[in-house]
Amino acid sequence: MNRNDTMTRGAQTDQLRDEISLFITENFLYMRPDHVLRPDDDLLRLALFDSLGFIELIEEIQDRYGIEVRDIEINEENFGSVNAIVSFVAARRPT
Amino acid sequence: MIPGTLDSDLRASAAARPAHTAIVDADQRLTYRELDERVDQLAQQLRGLGVARGDRVAVVMRNSADAAVAIYAIGRAGAAFVPLNATAKEHKLRHLLGHCEAGAVICDRGVYERVRVVSENLETLRDVIVTDEPLPAVAAGSESGDVLDVDLAAIIYTSGSTGLPKGAVFLHRNMHFVAGSIVAYLGLHAEDRILCVLPLSHTYGLYQLIMTVRVGATIVLEHGMTMPGRVVEALERERITVLPGVPTVWHVLVSLQGLAERDLPHLRLLTNAGAALSASRVRDVHRTFPNALLFSMYGQTECKRVCYLPPDQIELRPDSVGVAIPGTEAWIEDERGREVAAGEIGELMVRGDHVMQGYWRDPETTARKIKPGRFPGDRVLRSGDLFRRDEDGYLYFVGRTDDIITSRGEKVAPGEIERVLYALDGVHEVAVAGVPDERLGEAVIAHVSLVAGCAHDARSLRRHCAMHLEDFMVPKRVVIHDALPKTDNGKIDRLLLAKQSVEPAPAAAV
Repeated sequence: MNRNDTMTRGAQTDQLRDEISLFITENFLYMRPDHVLRPDDDLLRLALFDSLGFIELIEEIQDRYGIEVRDIEINEENFGSVNAIVSFVAARRPT
Repeated sequence: MIPGTLDSDLRASAAARPAHTAIVDADQRLTYRELDERVDQLAQQLRGLGVARGDRVAVVMRNSADAAVAIYAIGRAGAAFVPLNATAKEHKLRHLLGHCEAGAVICDRGVYERVRVVSENLETLRDVIVTDEPLPAVAAGSESGDVLDVDLAAIIYTSGSTGLPKGAVFLHRNMHFVAGSIVAYLGLHAEDRILCVLPLSHTYGLYQLIMTVRVGATIVLEHGMTMPGRVVEALERERITVLPGVPTVWHVLVSLQGLAERDLPHLRLLTNAGAALSASRVRDVHRTFPNALLFSMYGQTECKRVCYLPPDQIELRPDSVGVAIPGTEAWIEDERGREVAAGEIGELMVRGDHVMQGYWRDPETTARKIKPGRFPGDRVLRSGDLFRRDEDGYLYFVGRTDDIITSRGEKVAPGEIERVLYALDGVHEVAVAGVPDERLGEAVIAHVSLVAGCAHDARSLRRHCAMHLEDFMVPKRVVIHDALPKTDNGKIDRLLLAKQSVEPAPAAAV
């Protein structure tokens, strides 16, 4: 966390975006080798996840960033794209 | 109006409760009057295109109000609907549409391209209708006479152990009867609001719609559980009273933070089918939804539902699937056709008007599945599943007599996955097995050995499966072996592989 303190907000967001994109690419996108994940891709439309896959993603985000995701927050607004997840995590992450 | 048909249910509810909400699909809400009018328009359209009584019309759609309209419109036009999984790939669609000789397909935009490609070389398929587009004008078709309760209502495909799906044939009478039986034991009524996250292409989801229309209630349609926040929001916003699920649905819901603390005063019934819940998962579900009764149920496509456990028994006999549904009977026989005593294991037999007529164009498989009963015309469905009963007559599922895997509440034929993997260059041997899995019911595991020097790995093999199979059939794990173990007579030792695949039971969720 100390390192984050010295980073600018923009750099932190970039790092978050890279981490989340990498996690999704490594764990889910290998089923779609033709597709390069973009931060604003609609994750539902890409059909990368089934309900259990999504729960795995949520669990990973909770563990990695030390945040709690409430039931009703698992929706398109917060988890519909990599950018949405980045905004959600950035707003919640303890600093 | 001829009673006892699916259309008679819709007409009755539209007459009794025209302004009551029938269907909620995202921002769209259809009253019974609107549903009835839209069904009428599409039925006219179908007749205009030449769809006639007894024809088959396939529905390849995700859950939506349009899909519900399509299902009832096909019936009103006198034809039988054939619901197909919207994630089915081209070769599967081609096979099924050809097998039931569908004259038309109703689909949504998302699957249109797949259906169009398939339709090009199917002679019997005349029309492809995309529901989210305006209907083209057609000349009025001729009425082909009232639909009777003994007319063909639906063909519902289910996985067969040979790997080729079988089409279970139902008359209106069969579907009308079983819907009434389930409505009776669940006590569904016109003020119920049912949340359906299960696909309408599968009988469990389909019957949520049929029962809703039967009692004049409201169905809220969702596309699965991928965004569970939507489901939680719908539970509160729509004041849902009934939530049907399979083990995967409960797994997702009980893992959500905060759901157990929500006050859901309207939610009164939960139903589980597809695979049994463990006693610990039943407790999780009760903890998450303390005010709702849980019905544990068992069925198969061939008769829709066999039995249910009254909720007051679930603490007493958590692993029982209960007693035969009202108006039917179920008993257990040994190999010689004699009813077995309590505690003994045998095959479950089923008798009643819910039993299908047979498999479409497959008299041989039908003859193996349905045997003659006690008098001319009497028929008994052989479930193919091993059961026992206790001293009080409650039934317990013991195992299957075939190798079908039940995952996410759907039946998966190992042979179908094996064929897809064998089609890949470099694949030497394949054996697909199911292993118990708290989340999925059973998880599909593919054991594979490869030709020397072949570059495939587990990921590329899963990807290949994802490109050629419906989502629920894609193996959860692919295990690559140097060679698959063999039995003494040289066959792949499936039993040994199944034993090796069983993972230690997961620790209780915290």
